[in-house]
Amino acid sequence: MSAFTLTRVDAALLCCAAPLLSFLILGLTPALRRTGRIAGYVSIAFAGLSTLYAASLLQGRMFAAASPPDIGQVGWLYAGGKLVASMGVQVDGISASMLVVVTVVALCVQVFSLGYLHDEPPAALGRYYTWHSLFLFSMLGLVVAPNALQLFLCWELVGLASYLLIGFYFKKPSAGQAAVKAFWVTKFADIGLGAGLLVLYVFTGTFDWSPQAVQLLGATGAAWTAGLFFLAVMGKSAQFPLHIWLPDAMEGPTPVSALLHAATMVAAGVYLIVRTYPIFQAAPGVLVFMTFLGAWTALFASIIACSQNDIKKVLAYSTAAQLGYMVSALGAGELWPGYFHLVTHAAFKALLFLGAGALIHAVHSNNLQDMGGLWPKLKISGTAFIIGAMALAGVPGFAGFFSKDAILDVLLERHLFAPWIALLAAAGLTAFYMTRVVMLALFGKPGHHTEHAHESPPSMLAPLVLLAIAALTLGFAGTSLATAAGHEYAFHLSTSGLIASSLALLGIGVGWLAYGKNAFVPGKIPAFAFVQGIVESSAVDRSFAWSYRVVFQGVSGGVAWFDRYIIDGFMNFSAWLTQMAGERLRAAQTGRVVDYLYAVVAGLLLLAAAGFWR
Amino acid sequence: MTGHLLDLCVAAPAFAALLLLFVPGKHLTAVRLISLAGALVHLAAAIAIAVSYNRATGGVQMVSSHAIVPSLGIALTFGVDGWGVPLLLLTATILTVGVFASWGLADRARDFFVLLLVLTSGVAGVFVSLDLFVFFLAYEIAVLPMYLLIAIWGTSNKVAPGGPFKFTWKMLDIGGKEYAAMKLTLMLLIGSALILAAMLAMYVEAGKHSFDLRVLGTIHYSPFLQSAGFIALWLGFGSLAGVWPFHTWSPDGHAAAPTAVSMLHAGVLMKLGAFGVIRIGMVLLPEGARQWAWLVGSVAMINIVYGALSAMSQKDLKYIIAYSSVSHMGVVMLGAATLNINGWNGAIFQMVAHGLMTGLFFALVGLVYGRAHSRWVPGMGGFANAMPIVAVCFTVASLSSLGLPGLAGFVAEFLVFLGAWQAGQPIWALAGLVGAFITAVYVLRTSRTIFWGDGPSHDFHDLTDAHGTEWVALGVLVAALIVLGVWPRLALDFIDVATGDYLPAVAGKTLEALR
Amino acid sequence: MPTQAYLLLSAALFCLGIYGVLTRRNAIGVLVAIELMANAVNINLVAFSRVWGSLTGQAFTLFSLALTVSEVVVGLAIVILLYRAHQSVLTDSASEMKG
Repeated sequence: MSAFTLTRVDAALLCCAAPLLSFLILGLTPALRRTGRIAGYVSIAFAGLSTLYAASLLQGRMFAAASPPDIGQVGWLYAGGKLVASMGVQVDGISASMLVVVTVVALCVQVFSLGYLHDEPPAALGRYYTWHSLFLFSMLGLVVAPNALQLFLCWELVGLASYLLIGFYFKKPSAGQAAVKAFWVTKFADIGLGAGLLVLYVFTGTFDWSPQAVQLLGATGAAWTAGLFFLAVMGKSAQFPLHIWLPDAMEGPTPVSALLHAATMVAAGVYLIVRTYPIFQAAPGVLVFMTFLGAWTALFASIIACSQNDIKKVLAYSTAAQLGYMVSALGAGELWPGYFHLVTHAAFKALLFLGAGALIHAVHSNNLQDMGGLWPKLKISGTAFIIGAMALAGVPGFAGFFSKDAILDVLLERHLFAPWIALLAAAGLTAFYMTRVVMLALFGKPGHHTEHAHESPPSMLAPLVLLAIAALTLGFAGTSLATAAGHEYAFHLSTSGLIASSLALLGIGVGWLAYGKNAFVPGKIPAFAFVQGIVESSAVDRSFAWSYRVVFQGVSGGVAWFDRYIIDGFMNFSAWLTQMAGERLRAAQTGRVVDYLYAVVAGLLLLAAAGFWR
Repeated sequence: MTGHLLDLCVAAPAFAALLLLFVPGKHLTAVRLISLAGALVHLAAAIAIAVSYNRATGGVQMVSSHAIVPSLGIALTFGVDGWGVPLLLLTATILTVGVFASWGLADRARDFFVLLLVLTSGVAGVFVSLDLFVFFLAYEIAVLPMYLLIAIWGTSNKVAPGGPFKFTWKMLDIGGKEYAAMKLTLMLLIGSALILAAMLAMYVEAGKHSFDLRVLGTIHYSPFLQSAGFIALWLGFGSLAGVWPFHTWSPDGHAAAPTAVSMLHAGVLMKLGAFGVIRIGMVLLPEGARQWAWLVGSVAMINIVYGALSAMSQKDLKYIIAYSSVSHMGVVMLGAATLNINGWNGAIFQMVAHGLMTGLFFALVGLVYGRAHSRWVPGMGGFANAMPIVAVCFTVASLSSLGLPGLAGFVAEFLVFLGAWQAGQPIWALAGLVGAFITAVYVLRTSRTIFWGDGPSHDFHDLTDAHGTEWVALGVLVAALIVLGVWPRLALDFIDVATGDYLPAVAGKTLEALR
Repeated sequence: MPTQAYLLLSAALFCLGIYGVLTRRNAIGVLVAIELMANAVNINLVAFSRVWGSLTGQAFTLFSLALTVSEVVVGLAIVILLYRAHQSVLTDSASEMKG
């Protein structure tokens, strides 16, 4: 034993405090921030510290899986001297494993960014790392939140970090628009989380998700709370039709997309469901809705991903689809498969995005048409990208295979056939579009910039290798992770797993035929062309744009007009009336002394008369 | 010692104003330093009051009384409660920051500072007055200098004629600074007339020959006076708090006013109105408050959504901020209407939070206007490249106004909406949440249009970042917003005490039941 | 002589004064008319002094005379100023207070 022992609560606090400290240091010392790379080292050092604490916590929880969660909190809001809300940390298997996921991916991304953003001016790089530290702190605060209010607080803060990081290239108009759009859509959805919290408090008198609280909620309260929470999840985790901000969010630097818009922040929605699962379980109607909406999002986004030419947009839609898998699985009524997919997805999607970053870095373009034939030049990053693609496609043995299998299995077990079929189809499509991306980017005809492409520096390769290892091995760690989280899980090859992996192989085959062998052109197949036509019309986006223009701007324009010309007009009218009355009455003031004297005499006579007849 | 802290706090700005009268107006440095000294003494006294206020005992503390008109029972009685402490601190902060923000003002600077300081003494007087007559007197002292401040140092703004009342445009010179000043003064004075009537009615009916709030608070007034008096006080004070539809002085007035005046007016003066509704209207006339709470809350709901929607369509930066104030003051009134602990705590907290936020906003608008010589938002762009500090501060203010956690605005709005739902009015809470969303839409859009993008264009050649005193002003407000957002108990622990003192009688329940 | 006679004289003088004030357009004429009204009052004072057998009324009359003199001084000064401003002593020429 050392001189002092660190409780798990302390370790969790330190884990969160490290990035906060980094944020404060960078935020308050402009001189340090403007050095750029040194600021990056500071941020990375603190993120590394955080990772160490997170790892120790997970290890601790693994050996104490049965013990109750470690909770430490301090009163934050009071009413009439009674506690309303508190802040603190809750460490259990789920939050400890999520801490590791977040810190490891964040560390990888921050290291990767050193190479990726090498050409940025130092001041911009410093700003970038400042926001990264803010994000990491907020995300960790979200993960360890012991109650729904703190979760909501940090939820909004990660949204802020997302806004700032999407808008990193703030001089580009499109980046500004994307950042604002992301904030608007998620903020709209957050009305649900806010209202849900109010319902929760009004029914239970706390913001906790303990079993007692769920009991106090009752069926009605639980349905309202869960339903309102789910609205927020739809925004944050990009579920149809609120997924529209996610593809635009790709305006941010690629490492940001990897960390925020693939691995961690968008998964916060799913994490919210996981944390408040007792409430969701008490609301069966919401669960059914989740299953179907998740499956529909998975299918819909997978279809769109097939026809995107921007490598990041493919991955963005695929993220929405994978989040759909998680939501669907959680809706089926079991916690573990969805959470497991969250963990594996974080690893391989971060890998894919960072791999895509390496490709983009090599050719200075996001467009698949500009790539092509990169494999000979980029052996290491190419391999990493392919590993990620195979994990995403669900090739047996890779991480994605295990978690997807668990998801499909639970859906079939619960006889949710329609979502099950949709998710199977999405699995096939996933394999198809990932093969397409790999074929177009790494193999085939060399693009314009392929000639000058070169392999990335070590700072970018190291994170890729680390994440590739995770994507390869994480599936086998499922059992021990589940144990730490207090769940039971053992891999067994199920019917749905078999079907899914065959579909995945089929998808890869078709993709290879279409884009590797050029055996046929998918655009010429009527069904494919039809779907693509619908996709390209971007009806969802346009209907949102329409509702913004017509409903919002129209109504607000009307209100502003009403205010200026009717309400204020009425005020002006009464002022005008007063002035007009004055105008009329001023004629009585002739200015001639005699007239006033007449008035005096008349007054005297009146007074005399009044006295006489009194 | 503590007995005279309140006297010092209220008198310091007025005394500085008196000193200024003996300084030749051309000695700008002396004028500024004396004003700053007055503000700092005021601030120091406010801090000392906060430190010496005993939260454990609660109630009204540090009472000092000097009879003015004994035959009528009028006395200069000051005392501070849990609400007064944070509100005094807010006033002092905004005044100090306002003096910094007007540091560069050279045109008749002495007269300007005299009026500003006198006004602040009035504000502080309202927050600590325990005598209804003095309360009213201080209220008028706070409101009236605004006319001169806007009419002399303000700026005019063209408003296109239109609507069914278009014919009034020519006669009234709508949009001019004199128009704005006159409109503001007249609308507030009509409100004052209502307050005066209700005040005298209460004095007469009480029949105690005393204006002391503690005495008047023990009287059980007749149902008619409770009902009609509350409405009169609500509309009277409410016109200063921007209660719909008597809010239209606010956009024009704030748009025409010079920077420091907008800061004080939106940051502190509008709070006087809301404070009056709660401290006088609700606490003295509890039955009236209970009878009309539904109306107060519903109108507040309109304020929130309507103000936000109006702000969305504005193109003039000052109008955007002014309408957002109308929207946010709706949150205060909504909290007041809930008649429960969380709602009231939130209402008072929102006064503080909104005061800081809107003070910051108007300071920034003043900075941008001073350098860009334009308030026309669509014409701006890329200012962050030239003025990064201003951009960061503007973002912080925007985020606080849309209720982002970690900033003071969130705590206030959340408590108010929680209170509204607890009061059995989920519609109020939902309207508030929707209002926060609409706020997000327009503040982020505004912030993006002004600061993001490439630029600034050649029309704006002398954009420089905040420096010197401006930097201090912005830094203080940003820090205060963050500190209160992260650790709201700094203010909430005071507010909660006073809410616990007053609320049970108003709500007609025990404190135990209200928890 | 009965008291009524004095009072009637006084009333007649007062009415004459009023008539003069209302109809005269010349400022000096107005002043003279005002003097008539003042003296009507004085007659009243003296008459009642005699009726009650008290000297107070006569004393007041002396005060009143002094007052009237000073009033005429002020009045004539105003007339002179009026003449300087308007080159006329007609009351109609002074209508700055017209609304």
